Formats: sequence, structure tokens, C-alpha cells
Amino acid sequence: MAAALLGGCEQADNKNETVLTFSGSALGAEGTLVAKQLKQFMVLHPDIRVELQRTPDDASQRHQLYVQWLNARVGNPDILQLDVVWTPEFAAAGWVLPLTRFSPPTSEFFPATITANTWAGRLYALPWFADVGLLYRRTDLVPKEPATLFEVVADAKRTMATPRGPRFGIVWQGARYEGLITGFVEYLGAFGGRILDDSGRVVVNRPEAVKALQFMRDELYNSKIAPLDVLTWHEEEARYAFQNGTSTFMRNWPYAVGAMSDTSSRVAGKFAVSPMPSSGEPGGHSTATLGGAQLAINAYSKAPDAAYELIAYLTAPEQMLQRAQAVKQYPTRTALYSDKRLEDALAIPLDAVRRAIESATPRPVTPIYTELSEILQIELHRALVRQAEPQDALNSAAKKIDALIERTGMRKLMSMENTVPAVAR
Amino acid sequence: MSRTVRAVRVPSRKTAGVHWGQWVFGAALVLLMLFTLFPFYWAIVASLTPDAALFRDPSLWPQHIIGDHYRALFVDRDFITPIRNSLIVAGTTTIFCLCVGTLAAYALARLEFKGKAAIMAFILAVTMFPQISIVSPLYLLLRSLHLIDTYPGLIMPYMTFAMPLTVWVLTGSIRQIPKDLEEAAHVDGASRRQSFTKILLPLAVPSLATTGILTFIYCWNEFLFALSFTLGPERQTVPVAIALFRGQYQVPWGEILAAAVVATTPVAALVLFFQRRIVQGLTAGAVKG
Amino acid sequence: MKTISRLGHEARLGWTLVAPALAVIGLIAIFPLGWTVWESLHLHELRMPWLGQPFVGLANYVEIAKDPRFWAALAHTAFFTVVSITLELLIGLFLALAMNRVFRGRGFVRAAVLVPWAIPTVVAALLWRFIFESQGGIANALLVDAHILKESMVWFIQTATAWVPVVLADVWKTTPFVALLLLAGLQNIDLSLYEAAAVDGANAWWQLRHITLPLLKPAILVTLVFRTLDGFRVFDLIYVLTGGGPGTSTEPVALYTFNALLQNLRFGYGSALSVVIFAITFGLALLYVRGLGVRLGGDET
Repeated sequence: MAAALLGGCEQADNKNETVLTFSGSALGAEGTLVAKQLKQFMVLHPDIRVELQRTPDDASQRHQLYVQWLNARVGNPDILQLDVVWTPEFAAAGWVLPLTRFSPPTSEFFPATITANTWAGRLYALPWFADVGLLYRRTDLVPKEPATLFEVVADAKRTMATPRGPRFGIVWQGARYEGLITGFVEYLGAFGGRILDDSGRVVVNRPEAVKALQFMRDELYNSKIAPLDVLTWHEEEARYAFQNGTSTFMRNWPYAVGAMSDTSSRVAGKFAVSPMPSSGEPGGHSTATLGGAQLAINAYSKAPDAAYELIAYLTAPEQMLQRAQAVKQYPTRTALYSDKRLEDALAIPLDAVRRAIESATPRPVTPIYTELSEILQIELHRALVRQAEPQDALNSAAKKIDALIERTGMRKLMSMENTVPAVAR
Repeated sequence: MSRTVRAVRVPSRKTAGVHWGQWVFGAALVLLMLFTLFPFYWAIVASLTPDAALFRDPSLWPQHIIGDHYRALFVDRDFITPIRNSLIVAGTTTIFCLCVGTLAAYALARLEFKGKAAIMAFILAVTMFPQISIVSPLYLLLRSLHLIDTYPGLIMPYMTFAMPLTVWVLTGSIRQIPKDLEEAAHVDGASRRQSFTKILLPLAVPSLATTGILTFIYCWNEFLFALSFTLGPERQTVPVAIALFRGQYQVPWGEILAAAVVATTPVAALVLFFQRRIVQGLTAGAVKG
Repeated sequence: MKTISRLGHEARLGWTLVAPALAVIGLIAIFPLGWTVWESLHLHELRMPWLGQPFVGLANYVEIAKDPRFWAALAHTAFFTVVSITLELLIGLFLALAMNRVFRGRGFVRAAVLVPWAIPTVVAALLWRFIFESQGGIANALLVDAHILKESMVWFIQTATAWVPVVLADVWKTTPFVALLLLAGLQNIDLSLYEAAAVDGANAWWQLRHITLPLLKPAILVTLVFRTLDGFRVFDLIYVLTGGGPGTSTEPVALYTFNALLQNLRFGYGSALSVVIFAITFGLALLYVRGLGVRLGGDET
């Protein structure tokens, strides 16, 4: 694995080669995969050398470093790995280059993934792999996929009541962080609600949204299928609860599939995934929050053309298949989901995954997303710990988000944004 | 000589009370030791347990000991390099800080000149800004000096932010050391430098050892600067290496705790070695009027 | 008593000796501090470079003054600092006195006492989070076994109980630091004072109040100043343990500043927050100096 370069300028070597720095992980299977693909790329492009700059996998640490480097106009790393909600922020700040002049094949990717990476009418990053929120269920306890959220509750209560049944019905990520929003968006979509509508107006306090939040609260305090502990949990705590057999259902990301299939898992071979179902009420639809990583070109890079070559290579179908096989991450290209090789690579039935990606919903695509999310996180969490009633919490959130949009002058920009309407079913 | 006890009516006590006090003292000390060491004990237990078991049933005793986490530390992750980096950075910073700080403390404690209070205030004031806000401009500065991802790039900021403690503690300590001996030496013709090195320094050793340890530990644990001013494994320190264990969602508890246990060992060794120096009473025979 | 008083020479020597320290600090710190103050007077939103970086005077500060979340964060920080420092001073003093004594195993005690402080803060926070975890946490297990709790409590979803692990973790981690500082101060107290008092019949408690504490004032001052500084800048611990939650009820000012600077990318506003934090800690330090009657520039009373 190539060592990291010092920050500074890249000069062409004597051999007249271009040097690129790629921001990526060196950990475990991901690290091995990245190294392999970079090497393959270098074989195909003898005049380009790629070096790996190790950056944290943890999103907020990586964000911090990126902000620092880009604020200092550092050209390394040339290729940045963006979380799905960062693209508009980085685009607006002028930190990543628009990809339009390279004519990327946008129609070959899922529309939601392209929307998430488009700001002010231009594409700024290519989706590398997709994460989608999934409902995990114990197939030995609930053989049939529940069709609505209410069925989930019924199934959960039934299994909890059986002797030696699991202690919990469902576990999710309810701590006061971004993960809470990703879960909320799914309940929101299930009841037909949205955070912002197509013209950028704040609609998170409409009745549908209140119903969604109330539903989450009911899971905690009414039907009690979710333990109060989830309000402090991130992905891993929920995963372990499910893995240890303590819960019938779990909402989590695809990574948990691989993590739970090894010998220490008590549920290996006994679980299946599907998208979070609709509520069954009119307007509602099955929703999976879109996550994942995108590849973008550092605006200060000295070799943007070469950088795009690398991005194009890494997002090509073959490489996405390799990734699916090595680390079980889902491709973002539509065509691959009709490809048998993908099913073999992922080792789980493709149907559920395809439905999940097709119902993938991005979070609001705006540079002020982190601030917006923080406001919403606080109010949602307050409602969930019963420091506030759902309607009041959402009203408060709506008011503050509105004020934020005003203060930052985003209103005009966001209404110009060509957002793809939420996937209608 | 100004430190005799003023004659005051003091309450007297029966001697039996002393033993009772000692029992209380002993019990309190034991409780505190338990409180202090329990989490560390727990960290050791957890680092020997598989991650999945950690979330199942917590127990005080290790149920199922595995060495995987420790092996992963050194085989999969190369934990030696960050330890080396931390030792170099912390050690160098400590030595420089002590040298530079002692000189300053001597001046502030023993010499008379205007502006001493202002100097002490200034040295302290630089540490009153939250690190978060200093990081960005400091990054810009270090970058312009080409010090990013280098040892000096970490040592210099650490010195800056560890200096106040060094200077303040040493100044206070030196002030409390009576001047008698040094002045007697001056009368006998010794130069300032001689009285400093031969008389004052030896008496200041406990404070030097204390601030040395505190500085070392500060550098050892510092995270934000280390994360921001280093780029790769060749220069990253232990806290950064540990933070990089985290995957996007995964938190490898066992390895993190194993790393913590391993990282604490050099420090504990250092302290054990120096702990006698920390406590050397003035009654080592030197100072009587 | 003869003193060497050639002022010109002494002043020159004095400045020469402090010069290296001032030089290092000056080289590294002046630019970032100046930059922070400068930024605080401007509008600087990284996400919206088209707004430029206009000079806005005190507008950021006015926004801070009107921000209820800031005042709440300040209250949390003050609460946390006061509670932690009090506990740390009490326990630290006890430990310092203990480490000062001669008894078997004191070497071990001294090394053991430092272990918490030697663990990186983030790891310590993770440890304590784990201990208070509701499902797998040992705290709940112990408390339930001891019949103090009926069932496992979820500590982090109520403000009152969320502070417990936070304060415990900080006290656990930082008391060694306090103990060491106080110990350094104890070292400088002339033991003959105790002997004289004992001869006069004074008990340990009296000696503590009338000899130890007054003479420990400089060390207590240093401890208070530095602990307050650290308390007001507490970040890692709370970030890992509660993330500022539930809601924002455990959010300290440093975490709020972090959000402003590195999450929301509001460099102007975030810098103003930093300056405010600086002003508060500076003011507190001055208070301590006055209150304890220690003269920075000369011998203490």
C-alpha cells in the first residue's frame, strides 16, 4: 500500500507521470479492496500514480479534516470521499469541482443517488456505493415479510409474548445524532410526510410527520416493542442486540449483514432484510433512507482530469461488483441489479435490496443540511424522551429551520434546486 | 525566619482518637483505590472478551478469554509505530518544556523586574482559547512553515500549551523554597548560575518531576492537534491511531480497550519509576536557618 | 538580609531567562489567537463563500448574547465545572495527603492514582459509557444486584441521570492531576511547623486547617485556575458520553463551539464564541487570584 504524501504540490515525476492522492481507508477488507483497485487502475494507466491517503472512516472525523484542508486550499487528497449529505455543502463552498464537463453517465445510476449529488443544477460527485436503511427480521420468528408498519408492531408484540421469546420487538438508532434522522425519514415516508417540499418549504410539522413521530413514540411507550435504551444507541448497540437474539426486528444499514454472519452471531442464517414498509395509510410508501459514499474531485487539485479518470474507474460496473463481493456494499448502478453476478456476490436475495434502493430517499439536499439536521435531531429527541409533545417539537423544529433558511438566504437557492420528488408509489 | 507558628490556643485531643482517624483514613484510601482502578480493571477484562459477549452479559470476571484483540493490535494494525511517535513527541516536549520553563520560572520567582505578573498572565492566557478554534489557524500556520506531518509540527504546539502549567507550578514551587541557602552561597562568592544549578535545582526536583509527568501525560493523550497536524501512520500518535480504529459504523471495543491498556503501560512505568522523586521532603537535611 | 539589587542588570537577566518561553509561545500562539479575534469580527460562513467575509463588528457577539442555546450551554458548563472541581479538590486533597505519608505500598498508590489520567480522554469516555450502558453496562448490573435499583436504568435519556456518568468520568480522570498538583504544593511546606504544632497539642484536623491549607494556597490557586480552564473547555468527554443530549441538556460551550465551527462551518460566529469563552475563563482566573490573595508578581502574604 502506498504511503501518504506530505501536503503540498504534486509535481510530475521525471517519468512525466501524474500523481494522485486518494482519500480512503486502510482498514480491513475495505483497505485491501481499495489497494487492489488502485493497483488495477495504475496498470491500466501507466502514466498515473495513485497514492492512498489514509483518512478516518468515521464520518465526522473525516469531515473535520476535509474542512480544515479545503479551507487551507490544500490540493491533497485529489479525490475526496463524501458522505451523501456533504455534497451540496462542499459544492456551495466551492471545494469540489462540477463534473459536467466530463459528461458522466448519470442515467446509469439510480435517480435518487444523482439527485443527492446535484446542486444548483450541476453534478458534483459520483455515487460510489449506496447504503440504505433496512428492516432486519428474524425469519425463524416472523417468516413472512410484514406489509405495513402496523404489522411490524403486531408481529413484534406476538413474538415478545411467546415464552422464551426475545425481550425486544424492534431496535433502532435513537441517540441524538444523524442516525436518528435517517430512521425518522423512513417513518416519515411511510406516512407520506417530508421534511422539505419540492419548493423548499418546511413541511416537517404537517399532520403526516406528527403521525410518524407519534408512531415512533408509541413503539417506545405504548406498544413498548422498542426499549428505551434505543434512545442512546448508535448502529453497533442495535446490531449487537439483534445479533444476540434479544430483538425480533432491527432497523440498520447493510453492513450488519456481513457483521452478523460470522460464528459469534446467534442469528446467522436466521434473518432476512427488506425495506422499511409503508404505514398502509394513504400517501404513505415504503422508504429507505439513502446513505453511502460519493467520490468528488478536490477543487484545488492539480490534476482534475486524471482524478476523474480514477473516479470513473472506481464507479464502473466491474469495480462495483468487486466491492459487492469483498465488502458487501451495494452498487449504485441500476443495470447491475438485473445481473446474476451481483446476487452471487452479495449472497442475499436481490429482490429485497432492489426494492430498498428503488425506494431510497435522500435527505434534504442543501448546503445547510448539517445545521438543519441538528435542529431536527434535537427536537425529535426531545419528543422521544418525552420532554416535549410531537406536534410542539415539530412546530419548534419547523420554526427554527425556517429561520435558518432565512438567515442563510437559502430560500431562493433551494426553490431553484431541481429536486426529484419523493418516490411515489 | 518568618514561618513560626503563632501562639494560639489549640484544642487538645486524646491519643485514642488518632487510631480511629487512621482507620477511617485507611478505609477511605482503599475505597478510592477501588474507584480509581476499577474502570481500568474492567478495561482489561473487556479487552480479553469477544465483542459480542461484551454486549450480552456484563460480568466482573472474564468469562471467555481471548487474545485476539491484542494480537490484532500488533499484527493487523501495527500499534508499535504510534507508540514510538507518542514517546518521541511526548518525551521531547517534556524535556524542552522543563528546560525552557525552569529558566522562566527562576526569573519569575527569584528576580525582581517589572512585568512579571503580565508575563504570567500572558503565558496563561494563550491556553484559555478552546482548542477547536485554534486548530484551523494553527494548521494554516504550521502548513506555511512546512511542519505538517513532522515531529516539530506537534512538539511546538504542545510546548506552547503545556508551558503555562510548567511555568506556574515551578514558579510557585521555587518561591516557596527559602532563599537562605542561595543567599548564603552568594555571600560566599558563588555566582548566580552556581547557586541555581547546585542549590536550587536539587531542591526543585520534586516539582520538576511532577510537572514533567503532567506534561508527558498531556502530550501522550492529546488528540485534536495530533489528528489535525499529522497525515499518516508515520507520524500519528496513539490517540489518533485509536480513533482510526473506528469504521464507518463499527466500533471495535475490544481493540480500542486493548490499545488503551497497552498505551497506558509506558506511562504507568514512567510514573512508577519517578514516583519517589515526586515526593522528596524538604527535610532532606538542607534547609535550616 | 542582603539581596542582590542591581535593578538594570536583574531586569535584563530576567527578560533573557523568560525569552525562550515567550518566543515559543509567541511564535505558535500569536497568529491563531489574533486570527480568532479577527474572525470573530467578521461574517465568515464557509458554506456560502458568495457572502464574502464582511466586517460586521460586534454582530456575532450580539447574536451570542441573544442565543438561548448559548446561555444554556454556559449554565451546563458552569454546573459541570463547579461540581467536578469541588469533588476533585476534596478527593485530590485527600489523595495528596495520603501520598505524602509514609506507609507500605505508597509507591503503588502513587502509580495507581495516576492511571486514570494516563488513559486518553476519548478512551476513558468510551469506558465510562460502557460502564453505564443500559444493556451491557456493569453499573446497572451492580446496582440491581445490590438492590439499589429495581431494574436497569437508562442513564442517558434523562438530564439528571445523564450528568452522573459525566461527572464521575471527569472526577475519575482528573483527580490524579489535582492530587499531583496539591502534592507538589505539600512538598514545600516545612515539616517543622507540624512538629511544633504537635508539641503544642494540636490535632490533625487543626493542623490541616491552620497550617496545611493556608500554605497550600499557591498550589490551590494553580489547581483552581487550570481545572477551571479545562472544565470550561470540556469537550471530548461529553461528546462521547452524551453527545450533548438528551436534547441539548448536557451540552457544554465547547461542544456548542465545535458544532458552530466544524459542523455548521460558521467560522465568524464560532470564533466569537471562543473569544467569549476566553473572556470568561480569564475573568475567573483573575477572581481566583484576587480571592486567594496571591500576588502573581511577588511573594505571597
